Amino acid sequence: MIRAPGSRVTIPRMFNPLRSSGGDRSADRLRALADEELMQLVYRSNADAFEVLYDRHADAAFSLALRICRQRAMAEDVVQEAFLSLWRSRARYDRNRGSVRTWVLGVVHNRAIDAIRRRTVRDRGVVHDESAHERVAAPEFTDVEVARREEAREVREALDGLPEEQSRVIELAYFGGLTHVQIASMLDTPVGTVKGRMRLGLSKMRMTLGNPAEVLP
Amino acid sequence: MSDEHDIHSDPCAGNAAPYVLGALTEEEHTAFRRHLQSCAVCREEVASLQSVAATLPAVAPAASAPAELRERIMSTVRAEAREPELARRPGAARERRRPARSGWFALAGAAAAIAAVIVAISLGSGGSGTRVIQAQVLAPSASAQVALTGNRAELRIAGMPQTQPGRVYEVWVKRGGAPQPTNALFTVTSAGNATVGVPGSVAGVQEVLVSSEPAGGSSSPTRPPVIVARLG
Repeated sequence: MIRAPGSRVTIPRMFNPLRSSGGDRSADRLRALADEELMQLVYRSNADAFEVLYDRHADAAFSLALRICRQRAMAEDVVQEAFLSLWRSRARYDRNRGSVRTWVLGVVHNRAIDAIRRRTVRDRGVVHDESAHERVAAPEFTDVEVARREEAREVREALDGLPEEQSRVIELAYFGGLTHVQIASMLDTPVGTVKGRMRLGLSKMRMTLGNPAEVLP
Repeated sequence: MSDEHDIHSDPCAGNAAPYVLGALTEEEHTAFRRHLQSCAVCREEVASLQSVAATLPAVAPAASAPAELRERIMSTVRAEAREPELARRPGAARERRRPARSGWFALAGAAAAIAAVIVAISLGSGGSGTRVIQAQVLAPSASAQVALTGNRAELRIAGMPQTQPGRVYEVWVKRGGAPQPTNALFTVTSAGNATVGVPGSVAGVQEVLVSSEPAGGSSSPTRPPVIVARLG
Protein backbone atom coordinates (compact mmCIF):
# COMPACT_ATOMS: atom_id res chain seq x y z
CA MET A 1 0.00 0.00 0.00
CA ILE A 2 1.27 3.45 -0.89
CA ARG A 3 0.94 6.23 1.56
CA ALA A 4 1.44 9.94 1.21
CA PRO A 5 4.43 11.41 3.01
CA GLY A 6 3.88 11.47 6.71
CA SER A 7 0.48 9.86 6.45
CA ARG A 8 0.98 8.14 9.81
CA VAL A 9 2.10 11.31 11.52
CA THR A 10 -0.33 12.91 13.91
CA ILE A 11 -0.44 16.59 14.77
CA PRO A 12 1.30 17.30 18.09
CA ARG A 13 -1.33 18.50 20.50
CA MET A 14 0.24 21.87 21.20
CA PHE A 15 1.54 22.54 17.70
CA ASN A 16 0.12 25.56 16.03
CA PRO A 17 2.08 26.41 12.85
CA LEU A 18 0.53 29.85 12.76
CA ARG A 19 2.18 30.71 16.04
CA SER A 20 5.39 28.77 15.59
CA SER A 21 8.48 30.92 15.57
CA GLY A 22 11.40 29.48 13.53
CA GLY A 23 10.28 29.49 9.89
CA ASP A 24 12.35 26.45 8.94
CA ARG A 25 11.11 24.44 11.90
CA SER A 26 7.55 25.36 11.10
CA ALA A 27 8.01 24.38 7.46
CA ASP A 28 9.56 21.05 8.47
CA ARG A 29 6.65 20.33 10.76
CA LEU A 30 4.16 21.12 8.04
CA ARG A 31 5.99 18.86 5.62
CA ALA A 32 5.72 16.01 8.13
CA LEU A 33 1.92 16.22 8.17
CA ALA A 34 -0.34 14.02 6.08
CA ASP A 35 -2.43 15.65 3.36
CA GLU A 36 -5.65 15.39 5.31
CA GLU A 37 -4.03 17.04 8.33
CA LEU A 38 -2.73 19.85 6.14
CA MET A 39 -6.24 20.35 4.81
CA GLN A 40 -7.41 21.14 8.32
CA LEU A 41 -4.94 24.02 8.34
CA VAL A 42 -5.76 25.06 4.79
CA TYR A 43 -9.40 25.23 5.85
CA ARG A 44 -8.31 27.98 8.24
CA SER A 45 -6.64 29.88 5.36
CA ASN A 46 -3.12 28.71 6.17
CA ALA A 47 -1.16 29.48 2.99
CA ASP A 48 1.97 27.67 4.24
CA ALA A 49 0.02 24.43 4.54
CA PHE A 50 -1.40 24.94 1.06
CA GLU A 51 2.12 25.45 -0.26
CA VAL A 52 3.17 22.05 1.10
CA LEU A 53 0.18 20.44 -0.62
CA TYR A 54 1.09 22.26 -3.83
CA ASP A 55 4.66 20.98 -3.68
CA ARG A 56 3.44 17.43 -3.16
CA HIS A 57 0.99 17.32 -6.03
CA ALA A 58 2.01 19.99 -8.53
CA ASP A 59 4.12 17.69 -10.70
CA ALA A 60 1.38 15.08 -10.96
CA ALA A 61 -1.13 17.84 -11.71
CA PHE A 62 1.09 19.37 -14.39
CA SER A 63 1.84 15.95 -15.92
CA LEU A 64 -1.86 15.21 -16.22
CA ALA A 65 -2.69 18.66 -17.60
CA LEU A 66 0.13 18.45 -20.15
CA ARG A 67 -0.92 14.95 -21.23
CA ILE A 68 -4.43 16.23 -21.90
CA CYS A 69 -3.68 19.73 -23.26
CA ARG A 70 -0.44 18.82 -25.07
CA GLN A 71 0.63 22.48 -24.81
CA ARG A 72 2.71 23.78 -21.93
CA ALA A 73 1.11 27.22 -21.75
CA MET A 74 -2.39 25.78 -21.65
CA ALA A 75 -1.32 23.16 -19.10
CA GLU A 76 0.13 25.88 -16.87
CA ASP A 77 -3.12 27.86 -17.08
CA VAL A 78 -5.10 24.75 -16.20
CA VAL A 79 -2.93 23.96 -13.16
CA GLN A 80 -3.09 27.58 -12.00
CA GLU A 81 -6.87 27.70 -12.34
CA ALA A 82 -7.21 24.33 -10.63
CA PHE A 83 -5.06 25.11 -7.60
CA LEU A 84 -6.62 28.55 -7.09
CA SER A 85 -10.03 26.93 -7.37
CA LEU A 86 -8.98 24.34 -4.78
CA TRP A 87 -7.76 27.10 -2.47
CA ARG A 88 -10.98 29.07 -2.85
CA SER A 89 -13.20 26.02 -2.36
CA ARG A 90 -11.12 24.58 0.50
CA ALA A 91 -14.14 24.49 2.77
CA ARG A 92 -15.81 22.01 0.44
CA TYR A 93 -13.15 19.30 0.73
CA ASP A 94 -14.63 16.13 2.20
CA ARG A 95 -12.08 13.48 3.15
CA ASN A 96 -14.81 10.82 3.06
CA ARG A 97 -15.05 11.29 -0.70
CA GLY A 98 -11.41 10.52 -1.43
CA SER A 99 -7.82 11.50 -0.85
CA VAL A 100 -6.54 15.03 -1.34
CA ARG A 101 -4.51 13.81 -4.31
CA THR A 102 -7.62 12.36 -5.95
CA TRP A 103 -9.44 15.64 -5.30
CA VAL A 104 -6.61 17.70 -6.79
CA LEU A 105 -6.23 15.53 -9.88
CA GLY A 106 -9.99 15.35 -10.36
CA VAL A 107 -10.19 19.14 -10.50
CA VAL A 108 -7.19 19.32 -12.84
CA HIS A 109 -8.80 16.73 -15.12
CA ASN A 110 -12.08 18.62 -15.28
CA ARG A 111 -10.35 21.93 -15.99
CA ALA A 112 -8.12 20.40 -18.64
CA ILE A 113 -11.05 18.78 -20.41
CA ASP A 114 -12.94 22.09 -20.32
CA ALA A 115 -9.89 23.85 -21.77
CA ILE A 116 -9.42 21.52 -24.72
CA ARG A 117 -13.14 21.49 -25.46
CA ARG A 118 -12.96 25.27 -25.75
CA ARG A 119 -10.15 24.91 -28.23
CA THR A 120 -11.55 25.42 -31.71
CA VAL A 121 -11.76 22.57 -34.16
CA ARG A 122 -9.27 24.43 -36.36
CA ASP A 123 -6.77 24.72 -33.53
CA ARG A 124 -7.05 21.05 -32.68
CA GLY A 125 -5.63 20.06 -36.00
CA VAL A 126 -2.44 22.04 -35.61
CA VAL A 127 -1.56 21.43 -31.99
CA HIS A 128 2.11 20.66 -31.64
CA ASP A 129 2.34 17.97 -29.00
CA GLU A 130 4.69 19.50 -26.45
CA SER A 131 4.06 16.69 -23.99
CA ALA A 132 5.92 14.30 -26.28
CA HIS A 133 9.18 16.11 -25.50
CA GLU A 134 8.55 16.24 -21.80
CA ARG A 135 10.63 13.77 -19.90
CA VAL A 136 11.92 14.78 -16.55
CA ALA A 137 15.18 13.68 -15.04
CA ALA A 138 14.76 10.86 -12.57
CA PRO A 139 13.98 12.41 -9.20
CA GLU A 140 15.37 11.11 -5.96
CA PHE A 141 14.31 7.59 -5.25
CA THR A 142 12.36 8.26 -2.12
CA ASP A 143 10.00 5.58 -0.86
CA VAL A 144 7.07 7.60 -2.09
CA GLU A 145 8.59 8.07 -5.52
CA VAL A 146 9.36 4.37 -5.85
CA ALA A 147 5.81 3.54 -4.81
CA ARG A 148 4.34 6.03 -7.28
CA ARG A 149 6.38 4.54 -10.11
CA GLU A 150 5.24 1.09 -9.18
CA GLU A 151 1.65 2.33 -9.13
CA ALA A 152 2.11 3.92 -12.56
CA ARG A 153 3.54 0.67 -13.91
CA GLU A 154 0.61 -1.34 -12.54
CA VAL A 155 -1.97 1.04 -13.95
CA ARG A 156 -0.23 1.16 -17.33
CA GLU A 157 -0.16 -2.65 -17.45
CA ALA A 158 -3.81 -2.86 -16.47
CA LEU A 159 -4.72 -0.41 -19.23
CA ASP A 160 -2.50 -2.08 -21.82
CA GLY A 161 -3.89 -5.46 -20.82
CA LEU A 162 -7.37 -4.50 -22.00
CA PRO A 163 -8.66 -5.39 -25.45
CA GLU A 164 -7.59 -2.56 -27.75
CA GLU A 165 -11.15 -1.35 -28.38
CA GLN A 166 -11.66 -0.89 -24.63
CA SER A 167 -8.37 0.84 -23.80
CA ARG A 168 -8.86 3.11 -26.80
CA VAL A 169 -12.25 4.47 -25.72
CA ILE A 170 -10.96 5.00 -22.18
CA GLU A 171 -7.91 6.95 -23.40
CA LEU A 172 -9.91 8.97 -25.93
CA ALA A 173 -12.35 9.95 -23.19
CA TYR A 174 -10.05 10.52 -20.23
CA PHE A 175 -6.99 11.97 -21.94
CA GLY A 176 -8.54 13.12 -25.21
CA GLY A 177 -11.49 14.94 -23.69
CA LEU A 178 -13.91 13.47 -26.20
CA THR A 179 -17.51 12.74 -25.30
CA HIS A 180 -18.89 9.26 -25.87
CA VAL A 181 -20.91 10.70 -28.75
CA GLN A 182 -17.77 12.07 -30.43
CA ILE A 183 -15.95 8.78 -29.89
CA ALA A 184 -18.85 6.85 -31.37
CA SER A 185 -18.78 9.10 -34.41
CA MET A 186 -15.01 8.86 -34.77
CA LEU A 187 -15.02 5.07 -34.55
CA ASP A 188 -18.26 4.71 -36.50
CA THR A 189 -19.63 2.64 -33.63
CA PRO A 190 -23.00 2.83 -31.85
CA VAL A 191 -23.05 5.07 -28.77
CA GLY A 192 -24.25 2.20 -26.58
CA THR A 193 -21.31 0.07 -27.64
CA VAL A 194 -18.85 2.83 -26.76
CA LYS A 195 -20.40 3.19 -23.31
CA GLY A 196 -20.28 -0.57 -22.87
CA ARG A 197 -16.60 -0.73 -23.78
CA MET A 198 -15.83 1.98 -21.27
CA ARG A 199 -17.66 0.13 -18.55
CA LEU A 200 -16.12 -3.24 -19.35
CA GLY A 201 -12.64 -1.75 -19.59
CA LEU A 202 -12.85 0.04 -16.25
CA SER A 203 -14.35 -3.04 -14.58
CA LYS A 204 -11.51 -5.24 -15.85
CA MET A 205 -8.94 -2.70 -14.68
CA ARG A 206 -10.55 -2.74 -11.29
CA MET A 207 -10.19 -6.50 -11.07
CA THR A 208 -6.56 -6.31 -12.22
CA LEU A 209 -5.66 -3.58 -9.73
CA GLY A 210 -7.50 -5.18 -6.83
CA ASN A 211 -9.00 -2.43 -4.76
CA PRO A 212 -7.60 0.78 -6.26
CA ALA A 213 -8.57 2.70 -3.16
CA GLU A 214 -5.76 0.80 -1.43
CA VAL A 215 -3.32 1.56 -4.21
CA LEU A 216 -3.84 5.29 -4.27
CA PRO A 217 -2.26 7.45 -1.60
CA MET B 1 -19.05 -10.40 -16.18
CA SER B 2 -21.86 -8.99 -18.24
CA ASP B 3 -21.63 -8.69 -21.97
CA GLU B 4 -21.28 -5.13 -23.22
CA HIS B 5 -24.66 -5.34 -24.97
CA ASP B 6 -26.46 -5.86 -21.64
CA ILE B 7 -26.19 -2.13 -21.15
CA HIS B 8 -28.86 -1.46 -23.70
CA SER B 9 -31.46 -3.14 -21.51
CA ASP B 10 -30.50 -1.07 -18.46
CA PRO B 11 -30.57 2.66 -19.01
CA CYS B 12 -28.97 3.31 -15.63
CA ALA B 13 -25.89 1.23 -16.30
CA GLY B 14 -24.87 2.99 -19.46
CA ASN B 15 -23.83 6.34 -18.06
CA ALA B 16 -21.71 5.52 -15.02
CA ALA B 17 -18.53 4.76 -17.01
CA PRO B 18 -18.65 7.79 -19.31
CA TYR B 19 -19.56 9.88 -16.27
CA VAL B 20 -16.42 8.95 -14.31
CA LEU B 21 -14.29 9.43 -17.45
CA GLY B 22 -15.75 12.90 -18.04
CA ALA B 23 -17.21 11.75 -21.36
CA LEU B 24 -20.85 12.73 -20.97
CA THR B 25 -22.07 15.83 -22.72
CA GLU B 26 -22.84 18.78 -20.45
CA GLU B 27 -26.58 18.12 -20.55
CA GLU B 28 -26.12 14.40 -19.91
CA HIS B 29 -23.74 15.13 -17.06
CA THR B 30 -26.27 17.39 -15.35
CA ALA B 31 -29.09 14.92 -15.86
CA PHE B 32 -27.02 11.99 -14.61
CA ARG B 33 -25.99 13.84 -11.47
CA ARG B 34 -29.66 14.43 -10.78
CA HIS B 35 -30.35 10.75 -11.47
CA LEU B 36 -27.66 9.71 -8.98
CA GLN B 37 -29.57 11.33 -6.16
CA SER B 38 -32.34 8.78 -6.52
CA CYS B 39 -30.54 5.68 -7.84
CA ALA B 40 -28.49 3.71 -5.34
CA VAL B 41 -27.40 1.21 -8.01
CA CYS B 42 -25.81 3.91 -10.12
CA ARG B 43 -24.23 5.55 -7.08
CA GLU B 44 -22.58 2.27 -6.21
CA GLU B 45 -21.35 1.70 -9.75
CA VAL B 46 -19.98 5.24 -9.98
CA ALA B 47 -18.10 4.78 -6.70
CA SER B 48 -16.64 1.52 -7.96
CA LEU B 49 -15.58 2.84 -11.37
CA GLN B 50 -14.42 6.19 -10.02
CA SER B 51 -11.76 4.48 -7.95
CA VAL B 52 -10.34 3.08 -11.20
CA ALA B 53 -10.60 6.36 -13.11
CA ALA B 54 -8.71 8.01 -10.25
CA THR B 55 -5.69 5.83 -11.03
CA LEU B 56 -5.45 6.96 -14.67
CA PRO B 57 -3.37 10.14 -14.01
CA ALA B 58 -0.55 7.78 -13.01
CA VAL B 59 0.03 6.83 -16.65
CA ALA B 60 0.61 10.42 -17.82
CA PRO B 61 4.31 10.91 -18.67
CA ALA B 62 6.09 12.58 -15.77
CA ALA B 63 6.69 16.32 -16.16
CA SER B 64 7.89 18.97 -13.70
CA ALA B 65 5.67 21.95 -12.93
CA PRO B 66 7.62 25.17 -13.72
CA ALA B 67 8.94 27.16 -10.77
CA GLU B 68 7.30 30.37 -12.06
CA LEU B 69 3.92 28.66 -11.89
CA ARG B 70 4.46 27.98 -8.20
CA GLU B 71 5.31 31.63 -7.63
CA ARG B 72 2.21 32.83 -9.48
CA ILE B 73 -0.12 30.55 -7.60
CA MET B 74 1.37 31.07 -4.16
CA SER B 75 1.55 34.87 -4.45
CA THR B 76 -2.19 34.92 -5.14
CA VAL B 77 -2.90 32.43 -2.36
CA ARG B 78 -0.85 34.43 0.15
CA ALA B 79 -2.55 37.68 -0.85
CA GLU B 80 -5.98 36.11 -0.45
CA ALA B 81 -5.03 34.48 2.84
CA ARG B 82 -4.41 37.96 4.20
CA GLU B 83 -7.81 39.31 3.18
CA PRO B 84 -9.70 37.80 6.14
CA GLU B 85 -7.09 39.35 8.49
CA LEU B 86 -7.84 42.70 6.92
CA ALA B 87 -11.58 42.28 7.31
CA ARG B 88 -11.18 41.34 10.97
CA ARG B 89 -9.37 44.52 11.92
CA PRO B 90 -11.33 46.62 14.45
CA GLY B 91 -11.16 49.72 12.28
CA ALA B 92 -12.70 47.83 9.41
CA ALA B 93 -15.57 46.59 11.55
CA ARG B 94 -16.27 50.06 12.88
CA GLU B 95 -16.29 51.60 9.44
CA ARG B 96 -18.54 48.90 8.09
CA ARG B 97 -21.25 49.69 10.62
CA ARG B 98 -21.61 53.27 9.44
CA PRO B 99 -24.72 53.25 7.27
CA ALA B 100 -23.92 56.48 5.49
CA ARG B 101 -20.78 55.02 4.03
CA SER B 102 -20.48 52.43 1.34
CA GLY B 103 -18.81 49.06 1.91
CA TRP B 104 -15.88 50.35 -0.04
CA PHE B 105 -15.13 52.97 2.59
CA ALA B 106 -15.09 50.33 5.25
CA LEU B 107 -12.68 48.24 3.27
CA ALA B 108 -10.60 51.17 2.20
CA GLY B 109 -10.42 52.20 5.82
CA ALA B 110 -9.07 48.78 6.71
CA ALA B 111 -6.34 49.09 4.15
CA ALA B 112 -5.55 52.55 5.36
CA ALA B 113 -5.25 51.18 8.87
CA ILE B 114 -2.54 48.87 7.69
CA ALA B 115 -0.94 51.70 5.80
CA ALA B 116 -0.87 53.77 8.97
CA VAL B 117 0.85 51.02 10.90
CA ILE B 118 3.38 49.77 8.45
CA VAL B 119 3.82 52.30 5.77
CA ALA B 120 5.26 55.47 5.64
CA ILE B 121 5.34 57.67 2.70
CA SER B 122 8.88 57.74 1.59
CA LEU B 123 9.92 60.48 -0.64
CA GLY B 124 12.78 60.09 -2.97
CA SER B 125 14.06 61.38 -6.19
CA GLY B 126 12.97 59.62 -9.32
CA GLY B 127 14.73 62.02 -11.63
CA SER B 128 14.57 65.70 -12.20
CA GLY B 129 11.30 67.12 -10.90
CA THR B 130 9.92 63.66 -10.06
CA ARG B 131 8.84 62.66 -6.59
CA VAL B 132 8.52 58.95 -5.81
CA ILE B 133 6.01 57.85 -3.21
CA GLN B 134 6.06 54.37 -1.76
CA ALA B 135 2.58 52.83 -1.69
CA GLN B 136 1.15 50.27 0.69
CA VAL B 137 0.41 46.94 -0.98
CA LEU B 138 -1.57 44.08 0.50
CA ALA B 139 0.29 41.28 -1.30
CA PRO B 140 3.35 40.58 0.86
CA SER B 141 5.75 39.98 -2.00
CA ALA B 142 4.58 42.96 -4.08
CA SER B 143 5.61 46.59 -4.13
CA ALA B 144 4.23 49.74 -5.72
CA GLN B 145 5.34 53.32 -6.16
CA VAL B 146 3.74 56.42 -7.51
CA ALA B 147 6.03 58.67 -9.53
CA LEU B 148 4.76 62.27 -9.46
CA THR B 149 5.91 64.70 -12.09
CA GLY B 150 4.07 67.97 -11.80
CA ASN B 151 0.39 67.06 -11.80
CA ARG B 152 0.95 63.76 -13.55
CA ALA B 153 1.28 60.44 -11.74
CA GLU B 154 2.42 57.02 -12.80
CA LEU B 155 1.98 53.77 -10.87
CA ARG B 156 4.90 51.33 -10.97
CA ILE B 157 3.99 47.91 -9.68
CA ALA B 158 6.10 44.79 -9.14
CA GLY B 159 5.35 41.30 -7.91
CA MET B 160 1.58 41.66 -7.83
CA PRO B 161 -0.59 38.51 -8.00
CA GLN B 162 -2.40 37.85 -11.25
CA THR B 163 -6.03 38.88 -11.25
CA GLN B 164 -8.57 36.08 -11.18
CA PRO B 165 -10.12 35.11 -14.51
CA GLY B 166 -12.64 37.73 -15.62
CA ARG B 167 -11.18 40.43 -13.38
CA VAL B 168 -8.85 43.40 -13.84
CA TYR B 169 -7.15 45.91 -11.60
CA GLU B 170 -8.76 49.35 -11.59
CA VAL B 171 -7.15 52.64 -10.54
CA TRP B 172 -9.15 55.06 -8.33
CA VAL B 173 -8.39 58.56 -7.17
CA LYS B 174 -9.66 60.08 -3.95
CA ARG B 175 -10.00 63.82 -3.37
CA GLY B 176 -11.57 63.78 0.07
CA GLY B 177 -14.91 62.26 -0.92
CA ALA B 178 -15.66 58.89 -2.42
CA PRO B 179 -13.03 57.31 -4.62
CA GLN B 180 -13.56 58.25 -8.24
CA PRO B 181 -13.17 55.65 -10.96
CA THR B 182 -10.64 56.14 -13.72
CA ASN B 183 -10.43 54.43 -17.06
CA ALA B 184 -7.09 52.89 -16.10
CA LEU B 185 -7.81 49.16 -16.08
CA PHE B 186 -4.89 46.77 -16.20
CA THR B 187 -3.50 43.32 -15.62
CA VAL B 188 0.07 42.47 -14.70
CA THR B 189 2.79 40.57 -16.54
CA SER B 190 3.62 36.99 -15.63
CA ALA B 191 6.20 38.45 -13.24
CA GLY B 192 3.50 40.62 -11.66
CA ASN B 193 4.76 43.91 -13.07
CA ALA B 194 2.88 46.85 -14.56
CA THR B 195 3.40 50.54 -15.24
CA VAL B 196 0.18 52.49 -15.41
CA GLY B 197 -0.43 56.18 -15.95
CA VAL B 198 -3.04 57.76 -13.68
CA PRO B 199 -5.40 59.52 -16.10
CA GLY B 200 -5.76 63.29 -15.86
CA SER B 201 -4.28 65.69 -13.37
CA VAL B 202 -3.70 64.54 -9.81
CA ALA B 203 -3.95 68.08 -8.42
CA GLY B 204 -5.91 67.83 -5.16
CA VAL B 205 -5.77 64.02 -5.13
CA GLN B 206 -5.08 62.66 -1.67
CA GLU B 207 -4.86 58.98 -2.48
CA VAL B 208 -4.41 56.77 -5.50
CA LEU B 209 -5.92 53.32 -4.99
CA VAL B 210 -6.12 50.07 -6.89
CA SER B 211 -8.69 47.31 -6.46
CA SER B 212 -9.60 44.11 -8.27
CA GLU B 213 -12.82 44.58 -10.25
CA PRO B 214 -14.84 42.65 -12.84
CA ALA B 215 -13.54 42.98 -16.41
CA GLY B 216 -14.64 46.32 -17.81
CA GLY B 217 -14.23 48.02 -14.46
CA SER B 218 -16.74 49.28 -11.90
CA SER B 219 -18.23 52.69 -11.26
CA SER B 220 -17.80 52.15 -7.52
CA PRO B 221 -15.38 49.72 -5.92
CA THR B 222 -16.61 46.22 -5.15
CA ARG B 223 -13.50 44.97 -3.35
CA PRO B 224 -11.06 46.40 -0.84
CA PRO B 225 -8.06 48.23 -2.28
CA VAL B 226 -4.94 46.19 -2.82
CA ILE B 227 -2.76 49.28 -3.27
CA VAL B 228 -3.04 52.54 -1.36
CA ALA B 229 -0.74 55.45 -2.18
CA ARG B 230 -1.12 58.65 -0.18
CA LEU B 231 -0.05 61.62 -2.17
CA GLY B 232 -0.36 64.11 0.66
